[in-house]
Order: sequence, then C-alpha cells, then structure tokens
Amino acid sequence: MSTAEKQPQTTMHLGAARGGWFDQLKVTLARRTEGRGLALLSVVIVAAAILEPVVFTSYQVTLGRVALIGLVALGLTAVILMGELDLSVASTLAVSGVVMASIPDLWLGILAALATGLIIGAINAFFVVVVGINSFIATLGMLFALRGLAFVLSDEKPVRLTDIDAGIAFGAPLLGPITPRVLLFVLAFVALQIFLTRVKAGREFYAVGGNRQAAVDAGIPVRRRILTGFLISGFVASLAGIINTLERTAADPTAGSTVLLASFAAAIIGGVVLNGGRGSVLGTLIGAFSLGILQIALTLSGVQVDIQDIFIGVILLLAVITDPTNLRAALAGVRSSLRSRERAQTPV
Amino acid sequence: MSRESETLTETIAVASRPEAGIEKKRFSLLLWMADRGVIVFTVLLILAAVIFIDGFATLPNLTDVFYRAAPIGIVAVGMTFVVISANYLDLSVVAQVATSAVIFIGISNEFGVFAAVAVASLVAMLYGIVNGLAVGFFKANAVIVTLSTTFIGLGILRWLSGGSIFFGPEDGPIRAFGQARFGPIPLSALVLLLVTIILWFVLTRTTFGFAVRAYGSNKSATRLAGVNTTAVVVGAFVITALSAMVAGFVLAAFSNTAVSSMSDGYEFRALAAIIIGGTSVFGGKGSVLRTLLGVIFVSVLTNILVLSGIGFGFQQMAIGALIVLAVSVDALARRAAKK
Repeated sequence: MSTAEKQPQTTMHLGAARGGWFDQLKVTLARRTEGRGLALLSVVIVAAAILEPVVFTSYQVTLGRVALIGLVALGLTAVILMGELDLSVASTLAVSGVVMASIPDLWLGILAALATGLIIGAINAFFVVVVGINSFIATLGMLFALRGLAFVLSDEKPVRLTDIDAGIAFGAPLLGPITPRVLLFVLAFVALQIFLTRVKAGREFYAVGGNRQAAVDAGIPVRRRILTGFLISGFVASLAGIINTLERTAADPTAGSTVLLASFAAAIIGGVVLNGGRGSVLGTLIGAFSLGILQIALTLSGVQVDIQDIFIGVILLLAVITDPTNLRAALAGVRSSLRSRERAQTPV
Repeated sequence: MSRESETLTETIAVASRPEAGIEKKRFSLLLWMADRGVIVFTVLLILAAVIFIDGFATLPNLTDVFYRAAPIGIVAVGMTFVVISANYLDLSVVAQVATSAVIFIGISNEFGVFAAVAVASLVAMLYGIVNGLAVGFFKANAVIVTLSTTFIGLGILRWLSGGSIFFGPEDGPIRAFGQARFGPIPLSALVLLLVTIILWFVLTRTTFGFAVRAYGSNKSATRLAGVNTTAVVVGAFVITALSAMVAGFVLAAFSNTAVSSMSDGYEFRALAAIIIGGTSVFGGKGSVLRTLLGVIFVSVLTNILVLSGIGFGFQQMAIGALIVLAVSVDALARRAAKK
C-alpha cells in the first residue's frame, strides 16, 4: 500500500528532474485535442498563401464563410461532447429561415425562428432522453421530416423577405471586417467557451460524454444536460438560418445541405471526439477556419462546387478515421492479431 | 427466418429474471407491435387504400407501385445487413444507386452492357470496401463515414457526368429489360424477389450471415469468439453496395435514363422500410423478409399519398415521422422486455 502511494511521487520527481518544462509541455499537449485541426489549418493557410493569396485580402468574404460553418459547428460541439449527435441542424437552419421569412414583421419573424430552433431541440431531446432512441437515428428522422416541413411551409420555392432593407443593412460591416454575422459568431463562441469551461453545468457536459454511468452516479442531472445540449444546437442552428435569410434576403427551403457536411467536418477535425467527453470549442473554431479558408480558396480559384464537396468529404472521412480513440482501438486490434499470429508460429 | 435467435434471446431473458415472464405480459401489446405489427399495418393500409382511394386497385396503378417499389426494395434488402450488424445505416446508397445508373446507361452506350456491369461492380466493391474498412477496421461512426462518402461519391459523379442526363437507346437490351413484365408484375419486381431470396439465404443459412447477426447483438463477444469482425463489417457494406448497384440497373432500365439526382431520398425510404419491417436499429435482430414487408408498406403509403394529391414535402415529413415512430416503438418495446 505504502509503495503504491509513493510510486507516483517518485515518477513525478524524476520527471521534474529531467527537464521539467519539456515534459510538462508534452503532458499538456497530449491532453489537447486540437492537433489535427491545427495541422489542417497550417496546410490550408500555406497552400492558400501560395496558390490563392486573395483569400486573405478579401478577408470579409472568408470570415463570413467561417462564421456560417462555425456557428452551426459550435452548436454541434455542445451535443457531440456528450456523445450524442444532431444531424437535424441542416434542416433546422432551413425551417427556421422559412418561418422567419413567412412572417411579415422582421423582429417577430426572428423570435419565431429562434423559438422554432428551441422547439426542434426539445423534440430531439425528447426522443433521445425520454423514449431512449439513439440520437443518430432520431435526428436523422428529424432531418428528413423537417426538410419536408420546410418544403411544405415554403410551397417548395424560396420565400422572399418582406423587409429587404434590413437584410442589406445586416450585410454591411460594423467595424473593419466585422459584419453583424461575424459579430454574432464571435459572441456565440465566447458564450459557449465560457459556458463549457467556467460554468458548472457546462463542465458537466464533459462528464456526461466521458462516462455516462459515472455521471449519473455522481448525481449529475444527465437528462437535463442532454436537453440543454440539444436546445443549444437547435438554437444556434436557427440563428444560422436567420443570418442566412437576412444576408440572402430570402429563405431557401433547400438551404443547409452543404453546411451539414462542413460543420460536422469542422467539429470533428477540430478534435471533438464523436464518442463524447473530449474536445473544445477552440478546436471547432480552428476547424471552421481551416474549412472556411479552404472553401473560399477553392471558390476563388474557380473550382466547381462538386469538387469542393469531394474535398470536404475526404477531409471529414480522414478526420473521423483518425479520431484518436478510434485509431488507438484499430491499432490495438492489429497489434493483438499480429501477436497471436506470432504465438501460433513459434514452436512450443 | 431469425426464429432461432429470437427464441434464444427470449429464453435468456426469461432465465435471467424469474419474474420477467409476468412483466412481459403487461407490455405484450407493445412487444407484439414491434415484432409483428407490420403485417397487420400493411394489410390494414392496403384494405384502406382499396376502399377509400380511387384508382388504387387498378392494374396500371399496381404495376406502377411495383415499378417504384423494386429499386427501393433492392436497396433496403441489402442495407438490412448493415442495420443488423448494428451500424445504423449506409447513407451513401444514394450516391451508389445514382452512380450505378449513370454507369449502366453511359458506359453501355459506348462500350456495351457487359463493360458497364463490370465497371459498376468495381465501383460498388470500392464503395463497400471503403465504407466497411472505415467502420469495421477504424471503428469510425457509420453515419458520419457514409455521410462523407455520399458527398465524395456524388461530387465525383456530378463532376464526371457534368450533371447531365444520359439516355439509353430506344431499342436495346436495357429498354427490353426495363419494360418486360408478366401480366401486371414487372421483371424488376421479380429481380427484387430474387435478391431477397439470395440475401435471405446468405443471412440465415451461411456462417457469414450468422456472424453478421452475432456481431450486431454483441460486438466484443463475437470478436472474442475468433470471428474476423472487420471482414464481417466489410462484407455487410459490400452486400449493401452490390444491392444498390442492382437497384441502379433496375432504376435506369425502368426510365431508360440516368441522372445524378435520380435516387434522392432513397436512404431514408430504405431505412424506413427496414425499421418498419421490425429490424432493430440496435442491431442483432431482423431479417430481409421483414424488410420486404416494410418495402410494401412504404410503397403503398407513398402511392396513397401521391394518389391523394399530397405534395412532395408532406411525403418527406411522413417518411421522417414514420422512421422516428417505428424506432420509438422498437426502443420502448426493448426497454419493456428488459424490465
């Protein structure tokens, strides 16, 4: 017992003796999950700087794209941290946009759209928490049903905003490159960062995702946290729908299908582990920046949308394959099978 | 069917909890609905359609139902393997069906039908292996993996085809295949039946089929039993991809045209058919015959909606709601059975 207690102390002491700051840095780095996101971001920035430097001079366009992808990805982060998934965000974006545009009064429309997002989040949470369906399937059904709802509400064609001037005013920069869209994104980022790192309820998201049974045993209201998560993602998705509608001065019922892929890619490449419990909003921000810059660089180089889809699809596939926990499991499998083969070959 | 495995799990459930038998009775309606409900619902739906919907019980309409059910059914029957192996679903069937259809028409126009089938098979194998390795070997989430392969596949297809529509020749083997029918039953419906029989055999009578079901109910136990689980998952995805390929052929032959957007919504319709049939998204339980019933249900329902003049948006809502509803029943029944 006493040796077991002493053990960690000795190792810590040895570690400190062997050039402490370097080891400490290694430990800190190993704890972070943003590595892949940073790698992609550096590659994208270097490639864009060499091939298409216009991306950085027309930063207003780039920031707008980053904000669009990032906003939806931020909401997703909250849900994925708990090991759940919200596939319905793309349709939530479309439905809330249509709801907003169909109401003549601008502010009433915005309120109705936000309420739509919250209701959808609550419905998702109901199926996951109360009925007990896997969130992948529940939100997939919602994705399809809500896409239908957007078509029904809009009569299958884009709905024009009544107050077009408000939309034009919304697109104008407030200060330097900061348009209201970017400002809203920054606000959402800061709010979520504070919530997840400084607020007790937000910290508990990590516990729920890391080990749900342990979270239940520790007295964390798991069901309420999951509800909060889905409310956040629904709210943020409807916010993205509102911004989209304002900027285009019309709501498109088919909006959001490309956002779905890009926002998932942003969250996952940013290091949010799909099984939950690990990841950060900062990582999602890094992921959103790399994908936003990539998309704008490809668009400015005249690359077709189809090929952009291929790029982002490949990035998402690679991101989900190199998910650290999954990769470790895969490698462990290979190692154990190799070992058993060796054992079979060595004569006894 | 999966009769043996069902009774086995029931026995285990009863044995592990003495009072389980009593508890079960209270929830028996729910359990029964999750298990056998589809038969009654399908019969009721067809009866209602015959009585209330004008023009449902006519030969041309029934032939139309068959024509539309065939490709979705073939996809759904294949995808049942992925669902039973507890990997949710394969979203990329949308891209697979469209790719196969475009290859079938486009390449056979240039190089003949056999070359087209050969190329389509290679592409289908590629889809199955990429999806299967990502999910089975790298342990990545199937929804996200197949979401990304959908975008990659559709992107490549649109890029190479330029999004244009391909037309087959007015008279040729494809046209003949698409138009052939025996009385009111088109040849494509018989293809669906054939695929179902083959896959029923694979799922219930082969070691691979047994491994798929075992993997679906308990992954780690299957691995510890010495089964190559990566191969099982890859196999499930390859079967799905090959079925999607056949569905693409059938779909292309039916209209004698092919375009990259022709299979939109297939993933959801197929999933709806599978789940309504009673195959569990929790894995391990289900059969292709159930899926066939689910396909009939979904096809008849869609036909009723179309005949009643209900728009595309409402149809999507109905299918989405059906998926959520059917999974809810399954989840509640499962919880009731556990109690």
